[in-house]
Amino acid sequence: MSIDVFLVDDHRLFLSGVKAELSEEFRIVGSAHDVDTAIAEIRGYDPDVVLVDVHMPDGGGIAVIESVGETNPGVKFLALSVSDQAEDVIAMIRAGARGYVTKTIEPPDLADAVRRIHAGDAVFSPRLAGFVLDAFAGAIPSDQDPELDQLTAREKDVLRLIARGFAYKQVARKLEISIKTVETHVSSVLRKLQLSNRHELARWASKRHIV
Amino acid sequence: MFSSFDLSRRQSDRIIAGVAGGVADELGVSDSYVRAAFLSLLTVWGLGGLLYLAVWLMTYDRVEDGDKEKVELPRALGLGIAFAGLMLLLASLGLWPNAALVLTATALAFGTAALTDTSRPGPFAALLDPDVERTSRMRVFIGIALLVGGLATFTSSVGRVFEFGVVFLAVVLTGLGIFIAFGPWVRRLLADLASERSERIRQEERAELAAHLHDSVLQTLALIQRSDDPARMAILARHQEAELREWLFGAAPLDGVDLVSTALKTAAARVEADHQLPVEVVTVGDHPIDEAGRALVGAASEAMVNAAKHSGAPRLSLYFEADEEKMSVYVTDQGKGFRLEEIERDRKGIAQSIRARVERAGGTVDIASASGEGTEVILTMPVSRA
Repeated sequence: MSIDVFLVDDHRLFLSGVKAELSEEFRIVGSAHDVDTAIAEIRGYDPDVVLVDVHMPDGGGIAVIESVGETNPGVKFLALSVSDQAEDVIAMIRAGARGYVTKTIEPPDLADAVRRIHAGDAVFSPRLAGFVLDAFAGAIPSDQDPELDQLTAREKDVLRLIARGFAYKQVARKLEISIKTVETHVSSVLRKLQLSNRHELARWASKRHIV
Repeated sequence: MFSSFDLSRRQSDRIIAGVAGGVADELGVSDSYVRAAFLSLLTVWGLGGLLYLAVWLMTYDRVEDGDKEKVELPRALGLGIAFAGLMLLLASLGLWPNAALVLTATALAFGTAALTDTSRPGPFAALLDPDVERTSRMRVFIGIALLVGGLATFTSSVGRVFEFGVVFLAVVLTGLGIFIAFGPWVRRLLADLASERSERIRQEERAELAAHLHDSVLQTLALIQRSDDPARMAILARHQEAELREWLFGAAPLDGVDLVSTALKTAAARVEADHQLPVEVVTVGDHPIDEAGRALVGAASEAMVNAAKHSGAPRLSLYFEADEEKMSVYVTDQGKGFRLEEIERDRKGIAQSIRARVERAGGTVDIASASGEGTEVILTMPVSRA
């Protein structure tokens, strides 16, 4: 069964580039270069995976994720951006994106990320791993659900290795655990990232203008 | 010389009617000296005044497109008071003309003229500014000599015959006149100093701006020119935009203190440019840069260069993490790796230099590498508490 992919990016040149890279392996059902078209067409096509740019006029990727999420909860989002701004990326993840990669990603790695997203895993690029480690660093806040508000030592180990540029497979080997376990850790971090109301997350994001 | 048909009364930069100025323009000398000559001739039965009147009547106002018709009042006043002082002397002496008096008046008039010549560097500038040509300095010395000589002649040959009070008044008046005549020079000198200072400040700011642009924007533009990957160009451009925006509008990081993360990013950008190899930089936490931080950044640079040269990897990763106790840098490549005992001398040398640099600053170095599995250089540095 081939995976239906939809692309949203306001840079047409980049859009066509990604389309060319992914079309061999996936079915590119459509693409859009503005928020409103994207929302309407994604609802129509109901694709498996949407690659969405963080920065776009009229609300950006967050608007797409939030609007589509209400009507088509089965659609999975991968944020794809050149943006270095931590708060934008974290906001995308909190809005529901299951991963974030930078546009410098190599085509095979991007294809791998799409497959992973489709399989229900989280995709953490080194940069996103860094953002998350930064966001969860420091003292533990006294909150009602402390489990959501801090990362376990193992999760931190996994994120550090990802931040250092290692693929999940390498992470697994270095920590002597299975890839499945790595994926579990990453998904758990994603869940914490999305659900944690750790107030430092917002504060951290707002104080870091540029990373 | 007055037969010249072109002689006209100067309308700008004049004191009375522009006669002296017109004559000066016609003769090609400074108007100060012509004025001094008229003043000196005044002491010879008022000849200077008569001559002045005669020229005035014979000439016409020059038509000038000039916008400056202003009379230099303070200087006119100064010369006038000085002249009045001389006249007072003449009256009280009852000797008119008197050879000594004419000599005195001439010396004083030309001395003043030499010192107040506005078309040349002023006396202070001439004496203090080493760039002023020698003739100007000579002119000032001659002017001072004339003034001193004039006053000396006056006291020795004329001054004895009348009361001290008048002499005193005359000297005070003359001095006051000279002072007023000098006023513009003093003002100009001060204005020069002020404008020189503000110009220097402007130049320093410009130099700082140029240095910053060179380190950031020009570097990025160079990187973009060398890059043929549109995505990477965009990254560079956007990163640079953010950095420039922060520099222009944002507060400097940590009150102007440079951060280790910033220095590492700069170092990584340099490696990218020099070796055409993308370096993914991820930083967690931060620390203001100090001696240890500089050693860390330097060692990380060397590690990156080393990996870029030898690993054969398509990209490098630079991971930096700082907390309260320590800073760690991981330079990771997925290249061919090596076994420590097999590596070439060059690479070994660099590894040793990295180690020396970090250990000198109190840190530690770990190098993990296996053939075919890439290399990771791990630098750890304790954080010094300020």
